[in-house]
Amino acid sequence: MKNLKLGLLPTSLYFLCLFLFGATFSPAPPKVHTVEISQMRFNPDTLVVSKGDTIVFVNKDLVTHDVTEVSGKSWKSPALTSGDTWRMVALKTTDYFCSYHPVMKGKIEVK
Amino acid sequence: MKILKSISASAIGLLVGLTLLLTPALGQDNPTLSDAEVAHTAVTANQIDIDYAKLAQERSNNAEVLKFAETMANDHKAVIDQAVALVTKLGVTPEDNAVSKQLLANAEETKEMLRTKSGAAFNKAYIDNEVAYHKAVIEAVEGLLIPESENAELKSLLQSIVPALQAHLEHAQMVQAELNGK
Ligand SMILES: [Cu+2]
Repeated sequence: MKNLKLGLLPTSLYFLCLFLFGATFSPAPPKVHTVEISQMRFNPDTLVVSKGDTIVFVNKDLVTHDVTEVSGKSWKSPALTSGDTWRMVALKTTDYFCSYHPVMKGKIEVK
Repeated sequence: MKILKSISASAIGLLVGLTLLLTPALGQDNPTLSDAEVAHTAVTANQIDIDYAKLAQERSNNAEVLKFAETMANDHKAVIDQAVALVTKLGVTPEDNAVSKQLLANAEETKEMLRTKSGAAFNKAYIDNEVAYHKAVIEAVEGLLIPESENAELKSLLQSIVPALQAHLEHAQMVQAELNGK
């Protein structure tokens, strides 16, 4: 019993150190941001995030929308019908639009 | 030139028709519509744009025009579904009326005109009409249907449709500019 406890001690110390070190020096954990699609707009239409943050798009309109990277080539959400949500991880600054309603535009700014 | 003239004539006809219905002239007031008539008019106006979209899907080969038509068909269907769900909930039966009849009569003429065209002439005629039609419908919804609706939920549904009509109008104007640039 005694031996076992002593044997565990260095391991616990190691994890304690790792925890303290990690808590002090690792970057902030990724955040989750929401963009609401309503009244034919992305709200907010410009969103500033950190690299690796998650963005959740929520379609609160009655018509179908999507979220498409401006060239239409890098990424694109599926068709989001009323009530659907779609999440993506932000990696770099991009302009986007709704391919069904190209007058609807938005921007993700990765700082 | 002939094409241009006939298109603007029909667009103007539509606007004049609606404006006559909308503006009090010679002592006549706006048409008075019950909620059942407002609902019928709203559904009719949306159905007309779906019919135009179907014509475009049959007659156009232009990717931009086809994409626009698909959005019109889907969005106006979503609006009709919402309106039908609301009147069903309210126990209202949509009722035919003079404004609906006028809209349909104008639409029949426009569809006839569109059926005589193909290729680039069709694309231009369709998009020009979409610009004119959405302007007229926005005017009708804001100037007649919203003020005439008594039920708060019907009024708020109509108000929530305006941004979509506005986005459709701007989209149509975008496609129009592209067609004219080519
Ligand atoms: Cu429309």
